[in-house]
Amino acid sequence: MIRGIYAVVVLDLKRAWLDRARLLTGLAQPLLYLFVLGAGIGGSSRMGGPAYQRGIFPGVMGLSLLFTAVFMAISIVFDRQIGFFKAVLVSPLPRAAIALGKITSGAAQAFIQGLILLPFAPLVGIHLGIVNTAEMLAAMVLASMTFSAIGVAVASQFTSTTVFPIVSNTIILPMYFLSGALYPLAMAPHVMQVAAHFDPVAYAVDLMRGALLGTYFFPPLLSFAVLVGLITLLSWLGVRVFSRGEDDSVLGATGFRWRR
Amino acid sequence: MPTVAMPDASAPAVAVRGLVKHYGAVQALKGIDLTVKCGEIFGLLGPNGAGKTTLFSILATLRTPTAGTACVFGRDVTIERDAVRRSMGIVFQEPAIEQRLTGRDNLLLMGLFYQLPAARARKRAAELLDHLGLTEAADRPARTLSGGQRRKLELARALVTDPSILFLDEATLGLDVDARRVFWGEVRAIAAAGRTVFFTTHYMEEAEIADRIALIDSGQIVALDTPRALKARVGGGVIRLQTEGDDQARAWLIERGLKPEAGGPGLMLVHDDPAAILPDLLRHLPVKVLRAEVHEPSLEDVFLKLTGRGLEMEGAAAPVRGPGRGRP
Ligand SMILES: Nc1ncnc2c1ncn2[C@@H]1O[C@H](COP(=O)(O)OP(=O)(O)O)[C@@H](O)[C@H]1O
Ligand SMILES: [Mg+2]
Repeated sequence: MIRGIYAVVVLDLKRAWLDRARLLTGLAQPLLYLFVLGAGIGGSSRMGGPAYQRGIFPGVMGLSLLFTAVFMAISIVFDRQIGFFKAVLVSPLPRAAIALGKITSGAAQAFIQGLILLPFAPLVGIHLGIVNTAEMLAAMVLASMTFSAIGVAVASQFTSTTVFPIVSNTIILPMYFLSGALYPLAMAPHVMQVAAHFDPVAYAVDLMRGALLGTYFFPPLLSFAVLVGLITLLSWLGVRVFSRGEDDSVLGATGFRWRR
Repeated sequence: MPTVAMPDASAPAVAVRGLVKHYGAVQALKGIDLTVKCGEIFGLLGPNGAGKTTLFSILATLRTPTAGTACVFGRDVTIERDAVRRSMGIVFQEPAIEQRLTGRDNLLLMGLFYQLPAARARKRAAELLDHLGLTEAADRPARTLSGGQRRKLELARALVTDPSILFLDEATLGLDVDARRVFWGEVRAIAAAGRTVFFTTHYMEEAEIADRIALIDSGQIVALDTPRALKARVGGGVIRLQTEGDDQARAWLIERGLKPEAGGPGLMLVHDDPAAILPDLLRHLPVKVLRAEVHEPSLEDVFLKLTGRGLEMEGAAAPVRGPGRGRP
């Protein structure tokens, strides 16, 4: 099983390496949020620009991790369209290994993207010491795994990449905006605070904010438990969905559908 | 559920019994029986839509049959999937290499997916690439290879795991005649090394390399034999005529006591001594002959004789005919 997961991760990372320029372009969006949106909103609010930018840095990290992971999950839908995956499907690899491998590789890519963003933290006045950096890295791992598991769970429900923008706009963006990534949850209206309790992105962002800025909205242990629980649940779902797809007769020869 | 761990040495490479596959209302396979012996090159020949890919996909563990069983080396393809998968190398009708990675990377990845030791996978990949004449091209992205090279790479991909049986589905689709000849030369060499080969095709020339051929039409096997024996069913030789009025010519032939085959493009006439009667026919036929051809019976003729239509025609669209039709 572990070797199977490893095989899938190697395949995905080899492919991602061909697109390594994306690591740089992937930096553009978070930096825009941080230095343009952040400076603008911060400058026009009571908090002041630098304080606001500092406050949203963990949230912008969340943005980077979330969108990288979800975008990587699309590759599952793509995979079904490219032939190589057929060769994978007739290999003795357990389907569960494919599901878990996909989640792991999406998380790895998100994490790497996050590593590239992290050095920008001092620019917005966040000091990176040994302890808080270690905490931050652990939180990033957890966040990447969560977002990747969400992405894979969502992507495995679809057979066409064209629905992806819709999914992203109706599921991912609301989750992101609700998470308190761009504002302190503690100051948000009560309804949103309650809603945030049902938003996994909120827990992930809160852990990272706590690591970097020292203030938590949720008890860290709760966040940790929620995220680990969610990763487990979604992985289990993913494994189930992938294991079901033993018959591709619903589609033509080139399409492959996990679910009958 | 069978619990045998080792492949049954006495089991045939492929055993298919009463295999039925429906896609909704479409009956793609209507009860297939066939046995492929170990070490045999077995060809499944039939027109587009005959059900070749469907049968192939069931054997490849990618589709589940509606009814019936299929075993590879004595293992049921729906029950002992992993064991079956380990024993097979598969070349699909569509490309199944990652085009953006190099050929060598593709092979090494396969090694990972089959959990081969890395050193062995590397050695085997290098050997195969060398053997198939792909060493030069092996370290370029696969998409930059020529069509023939890419198909050979598919073959290498299927072989890198050292399978006991090689499955090929229309493996030379889109290749020119030369590239096809090279490709089948390689397949023959693979079979000579002791592997079983099961392939599907709708080109009759390709089917000729098989030890035995099953002719498939509209989801049914209409004949199964060696190429020679199949052609002997037609007997003698074949005259093919294209005239300005095929129906009139057919009526005239029947009047003369000759037996043109039903259906098909143009007229097909099987005769013990075609060369002897052709001049006479040409002289006396009441319609103008546009084209006349005499040849040894080909698999196409066999197919036409058994089904009433040619291999190049779309199988599903034509009316279904029983296997017995047109037999002498
Ligand atoms: N996934 C599918 N859904 C519905 N019908 C299918 C599907 N795949 C194949 N068919 C139909 O089954 C028949 C056999 O198809 P196929 O096995 O692909 O034939 P071949 O490979 O000989 O061309 C055809 O009539 C085809 O249209
Ligand atoms: Mg086909």
